[in-house]
Amino acid sequence: MQQVFDFIRRQRPSGTGNQILSSGGRLVLVLAIASLAALGPVIQSVQPFWLNLLIRMLTFALLALSLDFIFGYAGLLSFGHAAMYGAGGYVAALLITKVTASALVVLPAAIITGVITAAVIGWVSVRARGIYFAMLTLAFAQMIYIIAFTDLPAAILSMETVTGGDNGLYGIQLYELFGIDFRNRLNYYYLTLGLVALSLAGLVRLANSPFGRVLQGIRENEGRIEFIGYDVDRYKVIAFAISGGFAGLAGGLYVPFQSVANPELLHWTVSGELVVMVLLGGMGTFWGPMVGAGLVVFLEDRLGGVASWEVILGGLFVAVVIFAPRGLAGMIVAVRNDPRAALGKAIQALKNYVEAVRG
Amino acid sequence: MSSNADELERADVSQPSTSSDAILRTDGLTKRFGPLTATDNISLEIQENSITSIIGPNGAGKTTLFNLITGKYEPTDGKIVFQNESIGGKDPHQIVRHGIVRSFQITNFFTELTTIENVRLAAQARYTGFGPTDFLKHHASLEEPISDAMRVLERVQLDDVAHEPASNLSYGQRRHLEIAIALASDPDLLLMDEPTAGMSPEETNETVELIEDIATDITLIIIEHDMEIVMGISDQIAVLNNGSLLTQGAPAEIQQDERVQRAYLRGGGRD
Repeated sequence: MQQVFDFIRRQRPSGTGNQILSSGGRLVLVLAIASLAALGPVIQSVQPFWLNLLIRMLTFALLALSLDFIFGYAGLLSFGHAAMYGAGGYVAALLITKVTASALVVLPAAIITGVITAAVIGWVSVRARGIYFAMLTLAFAQMIYIIAFTDLPAAILSMETVTGGDNGLYGIQLYELFGIDFRNRLNYYYLTLGLVALSLAGLVRLANSPFGRVLQGIRENEGRIEFIGYDVDRYKVIAFAISGGFAGLAGGLYVPFQSVANPELLHWTVSGELVVMVLLGGMGTFWGPMVGAGLVVFLEDRLGGVASWEVILGGLFVAVVIFAPRGLAGMIVAVRNDPRAALGKAIQALKNYVEAVRG
Repeated sequence: MSSNADELERADVSQPSTSSDAILRTDGLTKRFGPLTATDNISLEIQENSITSIIGPNGAGKTTLFNLITGKYEPTDGKIVFQNESIGGKDPHQIVRHGIVRSFQITNFFTELTTIENVRLAAQARYTGFGPTDFLKHHASLEEPISDAMRVLERVQLDDVAHEPASNLSYGQRRHLEIAIALASDPDLLLMDEPTAGMSPEETNETVELIEDIATDITLIIIEHDMEIVMGISDQIAVLNNGSLLTQGAPAEIQQDERVQRAYLRGGGRD
C-alpha cells in the first residue's frame, strides 16, 4: 500500500523550474478562460442545458485545483476533501435559508468553514505520514458525513432539524449580489468562472511565494526540510487549511446552484473521484487537474446512463495509471517536447501491456 | 529524570573552569531504544572554532549522537547545552534557528530543484515565517536568500552549475551541494556526517580543503572513518565505543591511547 502511495506521489509531469507555470502556460490559461467566457452566450443560445454542465465542470475544476495544491504541490494525499466541500456547502445552505442570501456574506463564510474544517482535520492528521495521513483524512470525512446524515447537530441542540438528515436541505435560493439575476444561468456561469479564475490566480501566486516553495520542498524531501529550519507540521496544517478554503468555496458555489445540500456532497466517492481527476489531469500542474475534472464530469454526464459510472471511472483510472501515469498534462508536455519520442513511448507501453496480458 | 538533571547541574557548577569557551556541551547524554542503549552517559565539550572528529567502530553511537544534538531524537537522559542554552529535546527546526546545522552522509537534497534553488530554500528559512508577505510575494523578490545562496555556492565551487537541476550533478558535486545547503543556514556549529565517504582521492582532497576553509569561521564536528583525514584536520578527537565516550583528546594523545587501539581492533573484526 505504501509503495503504491509512493508510486502515485512520484507521478508529476513537470519537474524543475522555479515557476508553477511558464509564462507561455499562463498565456494559454488566460486565453482558455477568456474563451470560456466568450463561449457563454453562444452556448446559452444553442443549448442552455450545457451551461449547467459547464458550471458543474467548473465547480469540480475548483475542487480538483484545491486538492492539487495540497496533494500535487505539497505532496499530502487528502482522501477526505469532500469534508471541506460539504461543510462549505451546508454552511452556505443554512445561512441562505436562515440568515441572508448575500453572496458577499455567504461565500466568505463557506471559505472560512472550509479553512476551519481543514485546519482541525489537518492539525490532527499531519503527524501521520504518507498513506496514514490519507486514511485519517478519509476517517474524518466519513465522520462528518455521518454527522450530516444522522443530523447529529439537531440531536445535540434539541432542534427539529439542522442538516436535514439523509434528505438534506431543500429549496436553497440563489445568491443575491448587486441585483444580478442568477436565475439566468449565464450569470451563474460567469460568477463561477470568475471565482475559479481568481482561485487559480491566487493559488499560482501562493505556490510561487516563499511559503509555496517550502511546500514544494516538503514534497521533495520532507526529511531534509526540517533540518534547514522549517516547522514542517505547521506548514502542512496551514497548506491544508488554505486548500480547504477553496474546497469550501466550491461547496458554497454549488449548493445554491443545485438548490440542495445533502449528504452526497460529503460522500467518500466525491473524495475518491477528486483523486482520480487530479491523477488523470496530471498532478502538481494546477491546470492538468482542472482539465481532468472537467473531463470526468463531462464523461459522467454523457456516459453515466450507458453503464455503471463507477465501472467507467475505474476503467479510466486503470488506463491512466498504465498508459499515462503522468496524466493528461504529462502527455501534453511530452508531445510538445518531442512528439516522436512520445508516440514511441505510448506504443511501447501498449506493447508491454499486451504482452503482460498475454502472459 | 529531574533529580538526575539536578545532580548534573550541581556537577557543572563544581567544575566551571574548562567550560568557559565551550560552544557545545553534553552532560550525561543517554539515548535508549527499548533495551538498547545507543549512547550511554556521554559528556563532551566542543571548543568554539575547533574541529572535533567523532570516531569509533560501526554501532558506536556516532550518528545517534548527531541525531540527539540536531533534535531528531529526544534524549532519554542528560543535557545538551549550546551557547549556554539548553537545547535537548527541541525540534530540529528550532535547533537550526539556534545555529546548529548538519549535513548528511547520504546525499539528501531536493532532486527536482536546481542547485541554487536547493541552497536558496535553506537560506530562505532565515528570512521568512508566516507573515502576509511570505504568502503573497514572489519568492524571487526576496533578494537576500538568493545572494546568500550564490555566495555559498561560490564557496563550495558550485557556482558554475547553479542553474543546473541538482539531479544532473556528479557525485562529488552532490556532496558539496549537501554541505552548501547546510552552510546556507549560516550555522555557528556544523555537524558533518562522513563528508568524504565514497569520494575519489582527488575529490577527497578538495573536500578536506573545503572543510579547513569552513573551519575558519564555523565550529565543526565531523564523523569520519578515514584516519589520515581525522589525524590531519582535527583539533580534538572523541572516541566512541559501544555507545560510551572512550576518551577525548588531541590527535597525538588519541594515537597513543591503548584503549582506542583495542577498540578499533575489536571493531575492525566485527565489521
